[in-house]
Amino acid sequence: MIQKKHYQKLADIVGEEFFSSEEYMTQLYSHDISALPGIVNDIINPQAEAVAQPTTTEIVSNLLKYCKEHNIKVVPRGHGTSGYGGALPTKGGLVVDMTRLNGIFDIDKGSMTIEVGAGIIWGRLLEYLEDEGLSVATYPSSAPSCTVGGWCAAGGCGIGSTKYGGIREQVVEMEVVLPDGEIINTIEKMSDVFKDGSPEPFFKGDDAFYYKSEVSEETNDESTSLFIDSNGALGIITKVTLKVIPLRKIKPMTLSFPNKEQTIGAMQAILNYTKPFYMHFKTDQFFGMLKELGQAPNTTNEWLVLCALEGTNAENNNDAKEIAEIISMYHGTVESDEIAHHEWDERFYPMRVKRLGPSVAPSEVYVPLNRMVNFIEHCNKHFKGEKMAMEGAVNHQNEVAVLTWFLDDERRRIPFMFGWYRSLDVINIGLKHGGRAYSIGMWNVMHSRTFYGKENLTKMGNLKRRTDPKNYLNSHKVFPGPLHLSTRMGFLMMFGAALAVPIAIMFAWWLVPSLIGGYAHWVVVNDLASFLLWALVGVGMGFIAQEFANIIPISVMLSMGTPFLRLGRKIFH
Amino acid sequence: MTKPFEPLKLEGLDIEPLICARCGFCTFVCPAYLDTLWDSQSPRGKLFQLAKLIKSKKPIPADFAARIFQCTLCGACQEICQTDIPLLRFWQLVRQEIGNLEEWPEIVNYIDTALQETNNIMEMDQEDRMLWTDMVDDLVEGKTGIKAEVAYFAGCNISFKGTLAHMGENTVKVMHAAGVDFTILGEEEYCCGNPYFVAGGFDKGIELAKHNLRKMKELGVKTVVFNCPGCHRSFAEEYPHLLGKEATEGLEFLTFSEFALKLINEGKIKFTKNYPHVVAWHDPCELGRHQNIYNPAREVLNAIPGLQVREMKHNRNKARCCGGGGLLKGVNPMMSVRISGKRIDEATKTGAEFMASECPSCTMSLNDGIEHIESDMKFKDLSQIVVEALGL
Repeated sequence: MIQKKHYQKLADIVGEEFFSSEEYMTQLYSHDISALPGIVNDIINPQAEAVAQPTTTEIVSNLLKYCKEHNIKVVPRGHGTSGYGGALPTKGGLVVDMTRLNGIFDIDKGSMTIEVGAGIIWGRLLEYLEDEGLSVATYPSSAPSCTVGGWCAAGGCGIGSTKYGGIREQVVEMEVVLPDGEIINTIEKMSDVFKDGSPEPFFKGDDAFYYKSEVSEETNDESTSLFIDSNGALGIITKVTLKVIPLRKIKPMTLSFPNKEQTIGAMQAILNYTKPFYMHFKTDQFFGMLKELGQAPNTTNEWLVLCALEGTNAENNNDAKEIAEIISMYHGTVESDEIAHHEWDERFYPMRVKRLGPSVAPSEVYVPLNRMVNFIEHCNKHFKGEKMAMEGAVNHQNEVAVLTWFLDDERRRIPFMFGWYRSLDVINIGLKHGGRAYSIGMWNVMHSRTFYGKENLTKMGNLKRRTDPKNYLNSHKVFPGPLHLSTRMGFLMMFGAALAVPIAIMFAWWLVPSLIGGYAHWVVVNDLASFLLWALVGVGMGFIAQEFANIIPISVMLSMGTPFLRLGRKIFH
Repeated sequence: MTKPFEPLKLEGLDIEPLICARCGFCTFVCPAYLDTLWDSQSPRGKLFQLAKLIKSKKPIPADFAARIFQCTLCGACQEICQTDIPLLRFWQLVRQEIGNLEEWPEIVNYIDTALQETNNIMEMDQEDRMLWTDMVDDLVEGKTGIKAEVAYFAGCNISFKGTLAHMGENTVKVMHAAGVDFTILGEEEYCCGNPYFVAGGFDKGIELAKHNLRKMKELGVKTVVFNCPGCHRSFAEEYPHLLGKEATEGLEFLTFSEFALKLINEGKIKFTKNYPHVVAWHDPCELGRHQNIYNPAREVLNAIPGLQVREMKHNRNKARCCGGGGLLKGVNPMMSVRISGKRIDEATKTGAEFMASECPSCTMSLNDGIEHIESDMKFKDLSQIVVEALGL
């Protein structure tokens, strides 16, 4: 909880006009792109208490120093366009919205890099670069709203990743404010930044807040890669230097296939021939939903592949000719240019199908391309009876970032809650087929170890422990954090236990009278007074259970709860 | 008293806030959001709040009602929407709901009173409707209330605001040069009702619509020409919506650019003089995104020898708003002028000598924007360019 006395101080640090603690405002910064079941409000506290929009790195630094000193929970936020819970508050606190740090500081056409504020929107950056005859090699499919810093923090691949890799491959260096308020450039060695006697950080901030930290010699690797995908748990990214490429012609092709085997086979064959700029597929079920919406292109077949080529006109035409030949062996059809451009323009619009919901349960996981057919079959079998749209984009390592959308209706609260299992199960199925989690955020925190690797996670943990021992900065992200049961849930548990205990005793007397009579004859409910007595015991047990639940990590809760959710969905669907 | 959110429910749009994907694409283009950078001003943020209110059947609070009107109704959010929410209509209906709650902003109440008392938004005497013709007295002499196939509908802004009168004058000059037999309604021209439609006061606009259409039909009009896209949209879209399609049957509604293009194609006007200027074209939201009319103005400009059209970075369906729409100019003039300034910056980057459009509201806003950012950019209405190029 942020105490009243802190509000004015926080507003002073960030500037009155860039701070709000009004409820209508804070609730807008307390969600991301996903609609979550109502129960989430009862197991964590995703309601931010205040929002700050810093305008400089120094202000971010001062904010963090103040919040660390007063143990105010801080959640950094780009533009809330991810769905992994990375920008969700878990214990109220302060949301630091980075969208005002949106400057373009330096463009270096010699080294082909650009330095931007972390809060700049990708779409804006692309527009700026286009005027300079440049582009970024990869941008997210949420480019019109996603911030550069947000994508760096969440990680992942996007448009252009088939050829150039994901965001990790694009970042040259970053400026990060560590939880203790210190500002570092990630390209410098960790040891250089932190070791005694090393060059001073270029901004120390307010001396009163300055906090000296030490990091062991182990963490002497270049640290940029550690901050990518770190979901703001290690620090707040304030500036990013990205690679840029010359603006080249894109020639989109839409290819259609009769079934999944031909689709995936053709994609592999194309990748054996060349690395297109972007390769993406949609399943026939996805196509069917688009058809229902009147948005499906008029293609020969219903399995679609978008293959975007990048190069000169001659190169693109030559590649297009080769690809046409390759796919003929897979019964594929090259659709018209009009359809190709339509599909290319639709690359930003994967959520069209939400209109059929009106809600969706999304999930995303990396699966090796050569295992995709099995993965799709597995999903179809596992989610039989569910309305599922699936699409996937290939990255530079021939992995497919598979995105699934399950249609749902959040107004039907119980089935919607149980339906949460689908998002978790898609990832589990992906893992069984040799895949890996797409991003960690909060919901995938049980996969942190495999996602980051033991060595990197240890380094990240070391840094976290040294700079943020109380875990005030974006807790529950990357590193598991405990539940934060609401008062309502606490009372519900105590009330439930108060009823359950005396009823269980009565049931035990009916079921095994000799056993309970022989060993615990004093455990008895035979009148109102004894009922109330044992109900009181139940309240106490409920209280203990509630306290115990508050130390269970969310990751454990999700792992343990998935089978129950699955069962519940079967009953209530 | 109507039930909560009845306007949205009647058109089946009360589910739309749930359909919102929260992707935030609208924030990339929303002028109000880009001016404040607070999500409470964005379509995404407003939809999120509305979803909660609709679910709990609670009325829209006054502060939220005020934010709903801090919007230019430019329709850019609808254009970019991931889930195809008909946001333009949606915002109009939310404004209707706010009207039902008697929470309209002061400026809307002022316009409402003016329209009820004087049938024009300026609260001026209808006898002054012909003020705009002062400089073209000779060309409109005997044209008021006569029977003719073509009518010119000036609209309140052009009729009463001296700085915009030239648009009417130019249109009349072009009609005269092309030998078009036309009529004007004079005192009998009532406000088209657009301010009501923008504010969601649809019922209040019905009488104005009926009057204007009745007058047109009495004079045997077949084609109505407009300089104002707001008036044009009222006749072409809102009137049939309110009164049924048959109400406008037999009437053709043309914007100035469509009319001028028609005259060019029929050979009634011809550009012979060289007009060596570079122009950045601004698409008015009410013509472009609202009615999908993009090409006629460009075709007219391209027909002028020597004239070069430069497209701004955001053009056609991606054109940014001038800042003057949706009554924002009255509700929050400072936000409006800041938005205008950004559009001027964009035009300046094209290297054009002046920017042009065909809308009295854009004309006012963009000129205010020029003043606000102290830009050297100049603005000309399309009719002015046509008249100059024809040497009239």
